[in-house]
Amino acid sequence: MTQTSQRPRTAESAAAVVTEFFDRYRAHDVDGMTDLCSMNAGLHYVPVEIWGKQRVLRGDGKVRTIGKPLWTGLIASFPNLSNTVHSITSNDDGDVVVQADIEGTQQLAWGLITPAGKHYREPHLFVFHVGPDLLIDDITGYWNDAGISQQLGHNEVD
Amino acid sequence: MTTPTQTVETFLDAFARRDVDAAMAVVDSRVAVTVHPFGLDNRGAEALRTVLADLVRAFPDLMIAVSRVITTRDVVTALFKAEGTQSAGYAGAINQEKHLDIDQAWRFVVTDGLITAVDAYWCQAQLYRRLAVKRYDEIAIA
Repeated sequence: MTQTSQRPRTAESAAAVVTEFFDRYRAHDVDGMTDLCSMNAGLHYVPVEIWGKQRVLRGDGKVRTIGKPLWTGLIASFPNLSNTVHSITSNDDGDVVVQADIEGTQQLAWGLITPAGKHYREPHLFVFHVGPDLLIDDITGYWNDAGISQQLGHNEVD
Repeated sequence: MTTPTQTVETFLDAFARRDVDAAMAVVDSRVAVTVHPFGLDNRGAEALRTVLADLVRAFPDLMIAVSRVITTRDVVTALFKAEGTQSAGYAGAINQEKHLDIDQAWRFVVTDGLITAVDAYWCQAQLYRRLAVKRYDEIAIA
């Protein structure tokens, strides 16, 4: 009979996975961040919406198809991108809620914002779900994109 | 003794009914209030009452649709959509009778059956986009 030595999912072990996720984000290890997520992990970055003439593109999809390109692009535009985790709370069902500041200095264009060497620091709230296999299977993020735009010197809403 | 989840559900149910007094009945008088999109970081029930009352006044048909309530010890995080039609100025934006629908996350700390801290997160860019504001430095100019 196959036996597994994997740690059980508890509030503490789920929080540890998410703590490691932010450590890897701080180290710009996007592959390592993705490795902490299940193959089909969902990603919902609520503020991300780009209004076109006939459709709206949203930051709503999968970690591997939406999250990874977003994180990679963000790090390219803000080479000193970093995060400060202020609180992590979790439960035995694998829910993990994180308050963190994300900050960086812009060196390349980000969306419609041209680089002016300005720095931003913005509070974020993330809701993670960690599965029984201790892999992240869902990430939802909330923040104020207007705050980021204004700090970077971009005053147009769109 | 009510659970933290029950306390927050009482608050949200009252907020959804636009009953600010009932919502404030489960809030500690020294509540810490942080509304990140406003840059508001204050203490006291009046600060939170003003946040709720401003929203209800500007959007009299306000609907609060809660999608998730997540309890992690004494912290309760509610994910909901606020929806309504503007009928008065809000957050500097003049009334153009636009429809607002905006996803939000509110993180509550509950102690002894009362809400002692609230952190509210939403995207002010989404809010201004829906209210037809074009520039952050000219919010009141349509």
